[in-house]
Amino acid sequence: MPTAVERKALSEALDRLNENMRTMSELAVLAIRKAVQALEKGRSHDADEVFTLDEEIYGLKHKIEQSCIELIALYAPVATDLRTITASLEITTDLDRIGRYSKDIAEAAEKLRGMSRESLGKVGNLTRMADLTIQMIETSVNAFAQRQADPVRDIVRTDDAIDTLHDEVFQELVEKMTDQSVAPRVGAQYILINRYFERLADHAVNIGLDVIYMITAERPIKAKHRDSTPHGAAAGPSVPPGEPS
Amino acid sequence: MEGEALGPSAGLNHDGAPAKMSVAKLSAFYGKKKAVSDVSLSFRENSVTAIIGPSGCGKSTLIRCLNRMHEVSPGGRVEGQVLLDGEDIYTQDPVTVRRRIGMVFQKPNPFPTMSVYDNVAAGLRLNGVRKREVLDAAVLRSLKQAALWDEVKESVHGSGNRLSGGQQQRLCIARALAIEPEVILMDEPCSALDPIATAKIEDLIFDLQKSYTVVIVTHNMQQAARVAEYTAFMYLGELIEYDRTKKIFEQPAQKLTENYITGRFG
Repeated sequence: MPTAVERKALSEALDRLNENMRTMSELAVLAIRKAVQALEKGRSHDADEVFTLDEEIYGLKHKIEQSCIELIALYAPVATDLRTITASLEITTDLDRIGRYSKDIAEAAEKLRGMSRESLGKVGNLTRMADLTIQMIETSVNAFAQRQADPVRDIVRTDDAIDTLHDEVFQELVEKMTDQSVAPRVGAQYILINRYFERLADHAVNIGLDVIYMITAERPIKAKHRDSTPHGAAAGPSVPPGEPS
Repeated sequence: MEGEALGPSAGLNHDGAPAKMSVAKLSAFYGKKKAVSDVSLSFRENSVTAIIGPSGCGKSTLIRCLNRMHEVSPGGRVEGQVLLDGEDIYTQDPVTVRRRIGMVFQKPNPFPTMSVYDNVAAGLRLNGVRKREVLDAAVLRSLKQAALWDEVKESVHGSGNRLSGGQQQRLCIARALAIEPEVILMDEPCSALDPIATAKIEDLIFDLQKSYTVVIVTHNMQQAARVAEYTAFMYLGELIEYDRTKKIFEQPAQKLTENYITGRFG
C-alpha cells in the first residue's frame, strides 16, 4: 500500500496527466475541425493552423508518454490508477494519429485549392462522413474527460455506419470519375480524404474502447487497423463482449 | 459486509484445481477480542496465496490458525474449521499438524547455539531421526531447496548466527523444508531483509510452489503481485476479497480493496 506521501504525489501526478490529456484531446478535436474547414472553405490559413496543431499534438504525445513511464516506474500503480495510465498511453497514440490524419486532410485541401475543385457538397456523403467522424471523436474524448463508459458503448455501431458511408462515397467517386463529372486528380484526392475519415473513426473507436477499459476494466477487443485490407473487405473492429453484433 | 460478495464459502474456484487447505467460518479470539471473523477461503495446491491488509487486520492471526499456532498465544481460541486434505486439523495432534504445515516467521530465528547443519537437522532429530546418512541427505536437499547450499557448503558446521539476515531467513526456510511439510506458511518473511535478500527469498518462494502449497502474509503489495497466484485482502478481521492476484491488482471487485491497494485508505 502506498504511503500517504506517495499517494499524494501520485494523485498530483495523475491530475497533471489528466490535464495534459484534456489539452491533447482539445487540440485533436480542433485539428480535425480546422481540417474540415480547410476542405470546405479552401482557406490556406485553416490548413496552416492544422499543421501547427499537429506538431503541438505530437509534442504533447511525447510529454504524456514520458510522464506515464515515470508514474509506472516511481509508483507501481495498481487498479484504477494503473488503468488510467495505460489507457492514457494508448489514447495518446490515437490522438496523435487524429492529428496526423487531420494534417493529411489539410494537405489534400491545399492540393484541391489549386485545382478546378469540385465542391465538397457534390459528394454529399463525404460531408456526412466528416460530421459523423467529428461527432465520434468528440464523444470519445468527452467520455474520457468525464470518465463515463456509457456514451461510448455504441461507438462500434456508429463506426459500422462510417464504414458503409466510406464504401458509398468510394463508389460515388469512382462513378463521377468514370463519367468525367469529376477530374481524376480531384477524385483521387477525395478518395484519400474519404479513407482518412474512415481511419479517424477507427481511432475514435479505439479511444472509446480504452475509456471502457479504464472505467470498467473490461477489455473490449481493439479495432483492427484496416490499412492492409483490400478495399471493401471491411475488417471492422470486433464487437466488445456483451455487444450484439 | 462487503466480503459477503464472495459467497458462503469464499468459494474461489481455482479453475478446477484441488484445494490443499480450506478454512470454513473461521473466527479467532484473543480472550474476548475477536481478531478474525467468520473467514472462509481455500488454498490451491502447489500455488502461492498472499494475504494482504493493513496492520491489525488479522492476517497474521489467520495464518497462525492454519497450523494451530494461534491457540498457543495467551487467550488464543479458534472457532470454525481448518481442513487439510479435507480433514479438520483441530481434531488432530497439533505436533503432527505442525509437521505437515511448516512456518517461517517475520524475523529470522535460527537456533543461536547450533551450526547450520544442526539447525536444519533439528526438526528431524526431534522426530527421532538419528541415522547420519538420512540426516545428511535431508540437510543437503533442504539447503539446496532453500537456495542456500552454494553459500554455506564450505561452512555447514559453522554457526547459523554468523550468516547474513537473508541467509538466516533461508536457513529457517531450509529448517522448515527438512521435515518435508506439505504446506509452508510465511509471516512477512522479507520484512527484515534488504531488497537483494528479499529478491532471493521471493525467487525461492516462487520455486517452492512446484512442490508445496505456500501461504504468505505480506505488507508489500508488489511482493504479493510478484510471487502469489492468488491474493486475499483482509480488513478488520474480515475477508473482504479473494481472487487471482492479477484480478485483485487490476480490477478489484470491492471498493475497500481498491482503496487499500491504491493507498486511498483512512
